[in-house]
Amino acid sequence: MSIAIQLQNVTKRYKTGRSRTIVDLVAGSADAWRGREREVYSASRGAISSTIHALCDVSFEVPEGAGLGIIGRNGAGKTTLLKLISRVTWPTSGKVRVAGHVVSLIELGAGFHPELTGRENVYLGAGLFGLTRKAIDRQFDAIVQFADVERLIDTPMKRYSSGLYARLGFSVAIHSNPDIVLVDEVLSVGDASFRRRALEALRGLIASGKTVLFISHDMWNVRRLCSQILWMEDGGVRAYGDAGEIAERYMNEVNLQALANQGTALQSHRGGTGEVRYEVVETLDGNGQSSASFMQDDVMVVRATYTSTRRIEQPVFQIAIVDVDTGVVVTTASSAGSNGAGAVDGRGEIDVRFNHLPLRPRQYVLRLAITDRDQLASYDMVTAGPRFAISGQGGGVDSLVDEQDGLVTVPFEISHRPSAE
Amino acid sequence: MRTLSDQPERMSLSAYFELLMNLTRREVKSRYSQSLFGAGWAIAQPLAMMAVFTLVFSRLGQMPSGGAPYPLFAFAALVPWFFFSNSVNSGTMSLITYRNIVTKTYFPREIVPIAQVGSRLVDLTASSALFVGLLIYYNVTIGGWIAFVPVLVAMLILFTLGTTLATSAINVFYRDVSPVVQIGLQLWLYLTPVAYPLSAVPDEYRTFFLLNPLTGVVEGLRAVLVFGRAPDWDVVGISASLVTGIFLGALLLFKRTDKYFADVI
Repeated sequence: MSIAIQLQNVTKRYKTGRSRTIVDLVAGSADAWRGREREVYSASRGAISSTIHALCDVSFEVPEGAGLGIIGRNGAGKTTLLKLISRVTWPTSGKVRVAGHVVSLIELGAGFHPELTGRENVYLGAGLFGLTRKAIDRQFDAIVQFADVERLIDTPMKRYSSGLYARLGFSVAIHSNPDIVLVDEVLSVGDASFRRRALEALRGLIASGKTVLFISHDMWNVRRLCSQILWMEDGGVRAYGDAGEIAERYMNEVNLQALANQGTALQSHRGGTGEVRYEVVETLDGNGQSSASFMQDDVMVVRATYTSTRRIEQPVFQIAIVDVDTGVVVTTASSAGSNGAGAVDGRGEIDVRFNHLPLRPRQYVLRLAITDRDQLASYDMVTAGPRFAISGQGGGVDSLVDEQDGLVTVPFEISHRPSAE
Repeated sequence: MRTLSDQPERMSLSAYFELLMNLTRREVKSRYSQSLFGAGWAIAQPLAMMAVFTLVFSRLGQMPSGGAPYPLFAFAALVPWFFFSNSVNSGTMSLITYRNIVTKTYFPREIVPIAQVGSRLVDLTASSALFVGLLIYYNVTIGGWIAFVPVLVAMLILFTLGTTLATSAINVFYRDVSPVVQIGLQLWLYLTPVAYPLSAVPDEYRTFFLLNPLTGVVEGLRAVLVFGRAPDWDVVGISASLVTGIFLGALLLFKRTDKYFADVI
């Protein structure tokens, strides 16, 4: 199979700090003239030429027609990588070689101008991707249809919603006859239905032999789109290979870090009157050990401590498991019958024990609230607690991607009876 | 079969030209949209300056205008001057203004400052039309030398392009360029024979004035349009060679540095 993208020993350094001025230029060339190079300091304004290694000796190849997920923490060098491949920027050393027409979606609709109409911006935006008017004419209907903007196409884009803006930007990019598409975390804008269609469109491109590089923090989407993953860390390649395997390794590590963050105090900015507040929340395994990674069969205990500033009769403790993409999956509340907390005054602790977790393997967060007995007034409300992850039984993250659709796992049997002719 | 290349993809010539046209249109449209007077503002600027120059230099200063009506004499130079000055002024900041697309997509970067100059062609056309009106009003006879106008206009555009390419590129790296350019342009107006003829310049300063490529353009346009005679070939010749050299040098500078634009903007 032929190669679409090839990086050889690519290093990229950035100079940081304030913009240079003529004064620095003069000072710098005076030094150069004296035959030395040094950091230029200005007492009042600080160092101006500290260097950052955005990428350090990176080499890899991407075969044509691959879907490659690029993952890693913020600042790992993911976006720099895409900018190098799209020729927005050039390597300090090393070679970046690319075969074919590259279209980058580093920001959706970056070339659009709000005073121009949608139609004019389609021509402007596609022109930036190197298309001629004739080629745009041919694609125009498809672009408008995909973005679903027929009604507003002759309206200045300043009247568009940000979602619509992004949709048209995405549509222009994927219809610009690309061989290679670079996507940088842009699917986080727009609504769920657009995200789904955008993902479908990218899958379609891969299926038709185009190469797609996809930066995302959402392991779920990466797994759905990409067969390979490039894991970036501190400007270098941490791992490159089979998507299932690397996604699992990455998740495990992220979960370990989450574990280290367990038991830390919850954020102070939150809703409610504050008469009772959650203090510390952690997730424990069946043995009472702190954990952030569970199998579907495992026991999980959510332990939360609270403090009240006065005596409160029968407060209701609510703890929900939330999937960031789809919303609340499980809710629990302490109000029902013998579960009731009675009265609280001062400090205390509550446990919610889940005997098993038939949830789809992915990451979840906790949402916690404390309300009065009738659940009318809220004392405390924290929308994002600690993260934890659930892995499937046996197959785990490795199981077929489509099996991970939906919200819960329930036991089932399928029987098949062909009718006898 | 596509082959690996370490150079950016070549844009087809038609795609390049169409993108230039689109960016130019975007520029014109955003400048004049929602303004009542629209492109009329393009002629207001040289017209107002002509009135002031006529009062100050002609009425109060008794500036010679070689027998031509002074307003016409001044306007013939103000039209090319404002094309140059406005282009350079907005062109210098253009790559910064367009940082959004410069740092996010690849396309030939010179298109951005060229589109700025292109958008000022609209203003140039509007004020030229007014100049034709003035020619008729003052009942000036047009001679055969008018055929030379396209050459002079080409020199003007080429010099404007060269200057804009250079200042926009340097301004990416050193933001001091923009204020320097603004002050420089104000002084430059008075160091170019716009309000006065080159013949009024004392001999010891003449060489200095000839090093200004706009001198040849302005004097040339005035000669063929206002006075209906051949331009001073020495002056125009010097300007033409300077313009060519500056344009090529600026283009080279721009293409040498444009790889680093996205890193420092």
